[in-house]
Amino acid sequence: MNPGPSTAAGSTLRLERLVPYALRITGSALLLTAAAATLADRDLAPPGLAIGLLGLVGFALLLHADSLTAPGGWHRIPGPAELERADVREHLAKFGAIAAQLALLAVVIRLFSVENAAFYERVVPLTLAAFVLNHLLPLEYRLRFFVGASITGVLLVFGPGSGAWLLAIGLVLIGICHLPIPFRARVALLLAAGAGLAFLRIGGGFRAPWSSAIWPILGSMFMFRLIIYMYDLRHAKEPARPARTLSYFFLLPNVVFPLFPTVDYATFRRTYYDADPFWIYQRGVQWMLRGVVHLMLYRLVYHHLVITPAEVADTTDLLRYLVANFLLYLKVSGLFHMIVGMLHLFGFHLPETHRLFYLSSSFTDFWRRINIYWKDFMMKVFYYPAYFRLRKRGDTFAIVVSTLIVFFATWFLHSYQWFWILGTFLISWPDVLFWLILAVLLVVNSLHEAKHGRKRSLGARVWSPGQRTGQALRIAGTFATICILWSLWTAPTVGDWLNLWAVAGRPQSLAGIGGMAVVPALLLGVVTVRDRVRRGVEGVAGQPAGARTPTFRRVVVRTGAGIVLLLLVAVSMAVADRFGPRASALARTLRTAELNRRDATLLQRGYYERLVGVTRLNGQLWEVYMKRPQAARGIWETEVGHVRGDFLGRELRPDRSVEFYGMPFTTNRWGMRDRDYARERPAGVHRTAVLGASVPMGWGVGDGETFEALVERALNEPSGDPGRPRYEWLNFGVAGYTPAQYLRLLEDRIGGFEPNIVLVITHGSDPSDAVWHLADVARRGIAIPYNDLRVFVRQAGIQQGMAHDEARRRLGPHADSILARVYGRIVRATRELGAIPAWVYIPTHEAPTTPEQLATLIQLARDAGFAVLDLSDVYDGHDPATLQLSEWDWHPNAKAHALIADRLASALRVHGESLGLDLPAAPEIRAVAAP
Amino acid sequence: MDVIQATVKEYILEEFLPGVNPAELTETTPLISGAILDSLATLNLVSYLEERFGIEIQPHEASVDWLDTLADIERLVRSKL
Repeated sequence: MNPGPSTAAGSTLRLERLVPYALRITGSALLLTAAAATLADRDLAPPGLAIGLLGLVGFALLLHADSLTAPGGWHRIPGPAELERADVREHLAKFGAIAAQLALLAVVIRLFSVENAAFYERVVPLTLAAFVLNHLLPLEYRLRFFVGASITGVLLVFGPGSGAWLLAIGLVLIGICHLPIPFRARVALLLAAGAGLAFLRIGGGFRAPWSSAIWPILGSMFMFRLIIYMYDLRHAKEPARPARTLSYFFLLPNVVFPLFPTVDYATFRRTYYDADPFWIYQRGVQWMLRGVVHLMLYRLVYHHLVITPAEVADTTDLLRYLVANFLLYLKVSGLFHMIVGMLHLFGFHLPETHRLFYLSSSFTDFWRRINIYWKDFMMKVFYYPAYFRLRKRGDTFAIVVSTLIVFFATWFLHSYQWFWILGTFLISWPDVLFWLILAVLLVVNSLHEAKHGRKRSLGARVWSPGQRTGQALRIAGTFATICILWSLWTAPTVGDWLNLWAVAGRPQSLAGIGGMAVVPALLLGVVTVRDRVRRGVEGVAGQPAGARTPTFRRVVVRTGAGIVLLLLVAVSMAVADRFGPRASALARTLRTAELNRRDATLLQRGYYERLVGVTRLNGQLWEVYMKRPQAARGIWETEVGHVRGDFLGRELRPDRSVEFYGMPFTTNRWGMRDRDYARERPAGVHRTAVLGASVPMGWGVGDGETFEALVERALNEPSGDPGRPRYEWLNFGVAGYTPAQYLRLLEDRIGGFEPNIVLVITHGSDPSDAVWHLADVARRGIAIPYNDLRVFVRQAGIQQGMAHDEARRRLGPHADSILARVYGRIVRATRELGAIPAWVYIPTHEAPTTPEQLATLIQLARDAGFAVLDLSDVYDGHDPATLQLSEWDWHPNAKAHALIADRLASALRVHGESLGLDLPAAPEIRAVAAP
Repeated sequence: MDVIQATVKEYILEEFLPGVNPAELTETTPLISGAILDSLATLNLVSYLEERFGIEIQPHEASVDWLDTLADIERLVRSKL
């Protein structure tokens, strides 16, 4: 019996009431469950991804319920008959293709460990899920959903405690923008609020109730966008809407990226779903892919091309230094492509942030291509208002002054940005000079263009061979000039930069000369294909008139092929170990975001001294350093540390007890971080003196948790053998010490303790450390007590007052020889004490030593006469992330110290005879639980 | 095409796109977002509009929202006449 029309209509009516009701119940239940699970943690730690997704799905269901109860809501849902329509099926196919590409890209991002764990473990999966949910919603509800997704991102990364503070502070700032008071009053209030937050940022006597980790993100979300937002509020054609405003400030990817494109509010508003959604999404996927490629290229440059100023020995090195330094900007362009690509997935059809900036043909062209959002921000808020005010005095005057104002604002706001990210203003002469010189070049270029115009076209330009050659030469010239300026910008001081040029003109290799000649030829080829490549890949959204538009399918296939290729590369990296150490090292540099040797050295130095070199462009290093809590002190900033100013440099004060990294740090009466010992070795005691730097000292772990304390305790466990000696391990480790300082300490103090063994702990950086220290004392005019080291200094021509980088550059070629001398002296001094010299290698995570480097070091140690204990495998089978103190400090934690102690004890049993040790069969090391 | 649009189109073709087929420049061609007019060119356009039509353009109007296409330019000029 068929239902009559009235029955069918009645059923439909009930369905139309029941479904939204069910959606609301389910959505609310999911949201409440997620909220309860999030708040259940007493420490208010970030909830799991599943909880975040649960909440987001709940929110989406609530929005769906609203959309169904709105007028015409049910008509949006395709019925069974409509699903058979070709356009609907095409819609589903396109959506599926994009979702599939995104899923693969998420896997690629995870396999390459792109950027940070919060990004690839939380934000990327959240984005993927949110993309699907967002597209399923009617257009009118998507902005609200995006706000929900962004808030979920904040809570997933920072947890409900700090996350709520971040959101609350943001809402207050946004609220000030909309107060019903005059515009100037609102600006004044915002400035006051900013000043208050800045005071808190520098820890001005008041401990903020939120994690310091939110500062860079809070700054990134509001420091520039507030300026743009207020400007647009004043001049906008239409009033602001809450969902759009909240979306603009709490952009989902921003929660993990403190360096963020300066999105323009008017552009953000104007470009929202302003073209076919699938083309917008597809362009987003392409740009995310491009971002991954840039970031991988950045890693290759960072690990394999970048050299330190101290390593620049001739013109070829200088060229390499200049080019590699500029290529590091791939980090920024990669990040920005990734970010804006992700925003495309939610309909924000934003323009590109960078446009082939390495191929700029003039300085004005460079300004237009690099960080385009910043350029637009400057033009809108500073250049045009200044120009319009000044044009009465003539165009030339207006152009010159407006340009200078823009570059002053750029310089100031960059420092302002770094204040929020690092908590300190980074102002330096190289920074000032860079922007000043670039401003002058741009002024000259602008005036030239104003007078002579420049070639424009609506479609693809046709180049003659002569024009291509001229263009290639202009690109080469611009590229070279920018490389030189960039090197100035990243130099610690102007003097350091000038020292670099001292090598210009030195004899160079044929390869270097050939390389210089091939660059313009390469650029000529790139210019020839540039336009074709760009138009072929971009797709239809936003194409200039006259461009040939590839089909959607072709674009998906090309992008998908690129993603699959990256996936294959990622998979092949997993088996790279089978292809030798070089392949393994290359794979590791692509797979992880670890520091290169230059930055690892800087970081190590930065632990012990006031950090220098953490410049705005030292991408990997500042990412580690900015996570450092504001209150974190180096050991030399506590009462334990004492700076001597002589060859030894520093020492620990005796009889001190402080809290360091939240752990007790106590020194005995001899200035060792250890328990007390008699000076003379008691009868029946076997003594080992441990020399080393921060690791044996026990940086970041508590008293008694250091590996030497653990080994000592284990060796003294009751064995039932009354004839067995007692063991004393004396910890002479001092943070920041280098081999020459071990030698000085050995000769100065250790003799009186009558050690049986002198154990030198090394981590692979001994050659560079030896050079670093010798360069430092030589340039500071500190007396060097060893004639052979003085000879090195003399032969290298080190003068007092010389820049440290220059001194290191001169001594660098002699690193191994210097170290060999120092090792030899340590061995002789040890033997003169009647002790046995032993050399122990313990790896570190932030600066892995290559097999070749380790082999060289071991040979140096053996040649000097050390007994060698290689603990390379001490951390095998353990996740490095669980063995370091924190995300920003890679010193070994208590768990790692226990592993070292255990491994060292095993090594001592193996080498017992050569070390004069009579050890029990299996001294057990009781591992201390990791903090 | 409207008179204002036609006048402005003629100026743009002569000043910035000499030799380009006029039919390629339509009322919806993106001039600023399409990177055809850079900042200097935009300021020249602003000067021309102010002189030609006797209007005053504000700094915030020298942007994509107001001057991106010939249709946008016409709307802006009309709003000030």
